[in-house]
Amino acid sequence: MTLKSGTTSACAACKYQRRKCIPECLLAPYFPADQTKVFQNAHKLFGVSNIVKILKSLDPSQHAEAMRSIKYQANVRDKFPVYGCLGVIRQLYYQIQLLEEEFHSVLSQLEMYRQHHHEVPSQLELGMAPPTNGLHFLTAVSDMPVSMQHSYSNSNNIGYCSSYVDSKDQNNNKSNSNSNSNNNNNSLWIQHPFLATNNSSSSNSNENNPLMAIQSQLLVSNTQPLVIQHEVVQDYDELHPFFDTIDDRQFFIHSKEPYDSSCEDSAKETTQAIELVPNNELKNAAACFSLTSVH
Amino acid sequence: MSSSSYSSSPCAACKFLRRKCMPDCIFAPYFPPEEPQKFANVHKIFGASNVSKLLNEVPTFQREDAVNSLAYEAEARLKDPVYGCVGAISVLQRQVITLQRELDATNANLFRYAYNEMPPLRPPPPPPPSAAGQSSGFYYPYQWNDPSDEDNERSSGGNM
Repeated sequence: MTLKSGTTSACAACKYQRRKCIPECLLAPYFPADQTKVFQNAHKLFGVSNIVKILKSLDPSQHAEAMRSIKYQANVRDKFPVYGCLGVIRQLYYQIQLLEEEFHSVLSQLEMYRQHHHEVPSQLELGMAPPTNGLHFLTAVSDMPVSMQHSYSNSNNIGYCSSYVDSKDQNNNKSNSNSNSNNNNNSLWIQHPFLATNNSSSSNSNENNPLMAIQSQLLVSNTQPLVIQHEVVQDYDELHPFFDTIDDRQFFIHSKEPYDSSCEDSAKETTQAIELVPNNELKNAAACFSLTSVH
Repeated sequence: MSSSSYSSSPCAACKFLRRKCMPDCIFAPYFPPEEPQKFANVHKIFGASNVSKLLNEVPTFQREDAVNSLAYEAEARLKDPVYGCVGAISVLQRQVITLQRELDATNANLFRYAYNEMPPLRPPPPPPPSAAGQSSGFYYPYQWNDPSDEDNERSSGGNM
């Protein structure tokens, strides 16, 4: 279907709706005629009228970004019909938990070595023989409990805390509190970056603890515009097989989040999910996995 | 809901839509009347008919999860009309990247120390912001590749 001018074809949205694509069509810049699948996904999830409503509520300068997020959300929902973007979020959160635990473990080992490094000179002064190597500390510290001091995942208030998700789990709390303070048992939620950067001033002043320093660096880095890091696309491409080989039922990690309506099989699901998580060298994944919430 | 639902109050969806809540109402198990805002949000962003179609495509035992995820996404979109829940994804992905780098650096430090090569180094400073791809200032970690079109070639390559 072409316009009378004959130079521009109708956008995918107007094509789908079998109507004339006017020059002022709001969706035309974002749904070219050859992206029918993308439009279908967006239309299936949101619907044209709802997308237009969202765009009209925004400043024109924000339309492009809003449409990108809408298309992304719709495409993820097409790939994961049950959990959608929430599944991606939980997977990332789980990755962060694993990385944090491993990081804490390594830091503990480093601390042991530092202490040993300081003790050896004093032992030498006392005429004591130094150990032949420091590797025995590895076995010593591996049994140490990992001290979960402060983590990225639960350090901030909840941004998109859904009272509906929480209400199921929190003793049938039926109050429809949509505030952001509901962060009792749900370590899934994180603070929205724009909210974090506007309010975080105290966090940046903590430099006693190396973890806090790292966290403050993270918060500072959040203020900077996000950029595409192509090497990460590689990492994320590695997750693609992960997304492909599992179905939605096995996708979720068990935790104390209130979002476990199908938690009867959650233990099995989580075990399978651990096996499928790539690029981690955790020796005691099962032990880490038993940490259902981080507080 | 059981057949005695005629005597019970209509679900939040039917209340909102001002229609009779039938025993086979697809919304009734997941939108209880005590949570009217849940359906209101979902309806505002996605629409009742879209939600109904989505639920019909999902097995019954997964519908509650689907509804809860839709409710989460709807609320996120209402709070942030531009990015919705995708904002959280982007932040988490960056955290993963940062943590992985920190972990790699710390592991290298540990191995160095373990073999007494040198004292442990301080953690590396955070990477400077890259000047590339700042047109949107947002990172979309999961590239959805449609083999039938070149969406990623255009939208991601052009805007990022």
